[in-house]
Amino acid sequence: MNPYVLMILLSSLGLGTTLTFASSHWLLAWMGLEINTLAITPLMAQHHHPRAVEATTKYFLTQATAAAMILFASTTNAWMTGEWSITDLSDPLANTMFMTALALKIGLAPMHFWMPEVLQGLDLLTGLILSTWQKLAPFALIIQTAQNIDPLLLTLLGVTSTLVGGWGGLNQTQLRKILAYSSIAHMGWMIIVIQYAPQLTLLALGTYIIMTSAAFLTLKMSLTTKVSTLATTWSKSPILTATTALVLLSLGGLPPLTGFMPKWLILQELTKQDLPIIATTMALAALISLYFYLRLCYAMTLTISPNTTNSTTPWRTQTTQASMPLALFTMATLGLLPMTPAILTLTT
Amino acid sequence: MTPVHFSFSSAFILGLMGLAFHRTHLLSALLCLEGMMLSLFIALALWALQFESTGFSTAPMLLLAFSACEASTGLALLVATARTHGTDRLQNLNLLQC
Amino acid sequence: MLKVLIPTIMLFPTIWLTSPKWLWTTTTAHSLLIASISLMWFKWTSETGWTSSNTYLATDPLSTPLLVLTCWLLPLMILASQNHINPEPISRQRLYITLLASLQTFLIMAFGATEIIMFYIMFEATLIPTLIIITRWGNQTERLNAGTYFLFYTLAGSLPLLVALLLLQQSTGTLSMLVLQYSQPLQLNSWGHMIWWAACLIAFLVKMPLYGVHLWLPKAHVEAPVAGSMVLAAVLLKLGGYGMMRMMVMLDPLSKELAYPFIILALWGIIMTGSICLRQTDLKSLIAYSSVSHMGLVAGGILIQTPWGFSGAIILMIAHGLVSSALFCLANTAYERTHSRTMILARGLQIIFPLTAVWWFIANLANLALPPLPNLMGELMIITTLFNWSPWTILLTGLGTLITAGYSLYMFLMSQRGPTPNHITGLQPFHTREHLLMTLHLIPVILLVTKPELMWGWCY
Repeated sequence: MNPYVLMILLSSLGLGTTLTFASSHWLLAWMGLEINTLAITPLMAQHHHPRAVEATTKYFLTQATAAAMILFASTTNAWMTGEWSITDLSDPLANTMFMTALALKIGLAPMHFWMPEVLQGLDLLTGLILSTWQKLAPFALIIQTAQNIDPLLLTLLGVTSTLVGGWGGLNQTQLRKILAYSSIAHMGWMIIVIQYAPQLTLLALGTYIIMTSAAFLTLKMSLTTKVSTLATTWSKSPILTATTALVLLSLGGLPPLTGFMPKWLILQELTKQDLPIIATTMALAALISLYFYLRLCYAMTLTISPNTTNSTTPWRTQTTQASMPLALFTMATLGLLPMTPAILTLTT
Repeated sequence: MTPVHFSFSSAFILGLMGLAFHRTHLLSALLCLEGMMLSLFIALALWALQFESTGFSTAPMLLLAFSACEASTGLALLVATARTHGTDRLQNLNLLQC
Repeated sequence: MLKVLIPTIMLFPTIWLTSPKWLWTTTTAHSLLIASISLMWFKWTSETGWTSSNTYLATDPLSTPLLVLTCWLLPLMILASQNHINPEPISRQRLYITLLASLQTFLIMAFGATEIIMFYIMFEATLIPTLIIITRWGNQTERLNAGTYFLFYTLAGSLPLLVALLLLQQSTGTLSMLVLQYSQPLQLNSWGHMIWWAACLIAFLVKMPLYGVHLWLPKAHVEAPVAGSMVLAAVLLKLGGYGMMRMMVMLDPLSKELAYPFIILALWGIIMTGSICLRQTDLKSLIAYSSVSHMGLVAGGILIQTPWGFSGAIILMIAHGLVSSALFCLANTAYERTHSRTMILARGLQIIFPLTAVWWFIANLANLALPPLPNLMGELMIITTLFNWSPWTILLTGLGTLITAGYSLYMFLMSQRGPTPNHITGLQPFHTREHLLMTLHLIPVILLVTKPELMWGWCY
């Protein structure tokens, strides 16, 4: 792609999210979401390949519908109450419709079916943008409106998302679909606590972005999209092989890695709100997700052959990709748990 | 609920239901989407009239501009789908299913 | 505390910076130094209660023996795995020792923690190194299955524990072990409280393991390399017992009735797993099941909640830690020579390895609780408390002791006595390293006879 075009697209992507962040009026927020969708569409379809086009079409249809529903919800609210401000979404019908639309937009459980399919059709960097940056704008909206939304709806969305994210990933062999299901499960964790402690949602979103970036960049570095090709990574980059297992376990939320921090704090908040049964359900649903992460670890790290390669030259030529972001994200994925108090202070 | 409110709401919901339940062709899905946007346009325009808010009267134009962009993106995707899949039937978009 | 923890952390640079030739020597020497420094914990300055170095780390008579055992095990694990890790590339050797050292770091922090939540995190943190040791350095393909069982049994038990701990923190305002023992007894009467009670204990009962949720243990033991089996049997199972003893303080009014099914299961498990041992063909599996049987006795002793029960439990945990680790080492020496765990293929080893037969003999006698070894002291104390609670338990515990003697004898006779088959006459002789390893396991067991108050726990 022409670098100028790419720059325009990426900066409009940034513009859309910033617009949604900065707006207090529903129309502007909606415009931000639309700019986001329109800017990422050419990025997704840049390789003119049936799978990429199919993914783009599916993504476009769901996002456009979700955005239209958000605007419809806010219009209904404006007709009922005369208010366009984001924080004043008080009409119950508008509330429910808004939450449904947003669930469609970020891929929460009953509306999640597009997510694995779309992610499967993209290349890894666009997939990374889709599963990290594109979540920011909807979350900016939902954090502002969460106080008005029915708690039952949020809890249901959260619990079903973690369960579906776990169950769905069990049967997959395609890494991008697995990461999509992992995204669904993490979104469930963020949604369930949003009414009680929005700062924990932010913290969970932040750690999720760090961990997912580490996972996607690892896959990008080793050029793998299937479980079966994961198994030959060790011959190319042994240290990456060692850290990837830990990154995956961190995504699964095992202590003492970063992934445990949001889970721990969210469980604490849920028990503080006297919801121990939901907390236990969430914790056990995380185990289902852990199972497929563990399977990836087995394929990539724990079953490598007992000898190293005989030749001194690696199988493939040296990579020209930048390894610094990967290194930074991996370190953050593995070692942030002792920093929990500092991070909590930052997010509150 | 005023009659105006009812009419644009039902127009939007009809469009949404068309998109959800009757989507044999990509083109019909895009048309439903466009219908939804137009009902929203009417809603915004009538809201500005109803509440006599001149400051808000640019909003329907912005919405229309964005929905035009969206429609053109949709049509571009229609062309791309027709070229890669040879058809615009949504049933044929099944390469990525699990 | 820190004078052990910091040298343990400094093991990592030692491992990665020494030259390949001296790798095993330096790490063994370094960890042995740490182990000898750790003995200073036994000299507690306060007569009872805690010796703390800072707010988060402290030792008391209950955790000290387990901490010293942890430190003692690391040089032994490094010694034991030398032979089968040596052919691997040097970076993987370093990685292996790093995992063992990280396990020790986590374990020291787990046993030394004063906050229960820190104990919990470190308890979970030991899962990752153990999982990697089992599934990366195990021998058969079944190791993946074993790793999955290990991880998921433990996690499924311990995630409810996390929620239960957070609930406890919410109701009492603190999770510090220093404070909790003086806090008001909780008003526990509803069904929810009973579930809370179970959630607090089930994690540890799975880790112990209690009969019924023990299936992960034989698998993990059979598939793990020798160091994995050693640390699993010697220390990781004891995390369960230690955690239970810490939690029982808080659970007081409910435990009296609710503990019944678990005590029954534990005692029944002694007999069942003992009988399973009697018909094992697989050497490592036999030792693993014997661990389950002994830990059943420990669980019974803890659940009965008398001072004697607690003391007996901690004595039996320490003694069993050393002895089962020794047995796994012996099994591994046989495995490294015959490349099979099947007992029938390695019979009559006494003729060719007479000194090793002595180690087998002592380890087996210790396993069946011969007087005056500490195993007997622990078992006797637990059996006495159980008898005091209900005389009928003597049927189960007595039969269990008998079966223990039976399978220990079976293991010894099967592997050491009888005619030597022709196919194993050409085995390579034993190394001094292996004799040293057994000596270092068994000398503490024998010396503890003379000063058992080191591991009497709170009773001392």
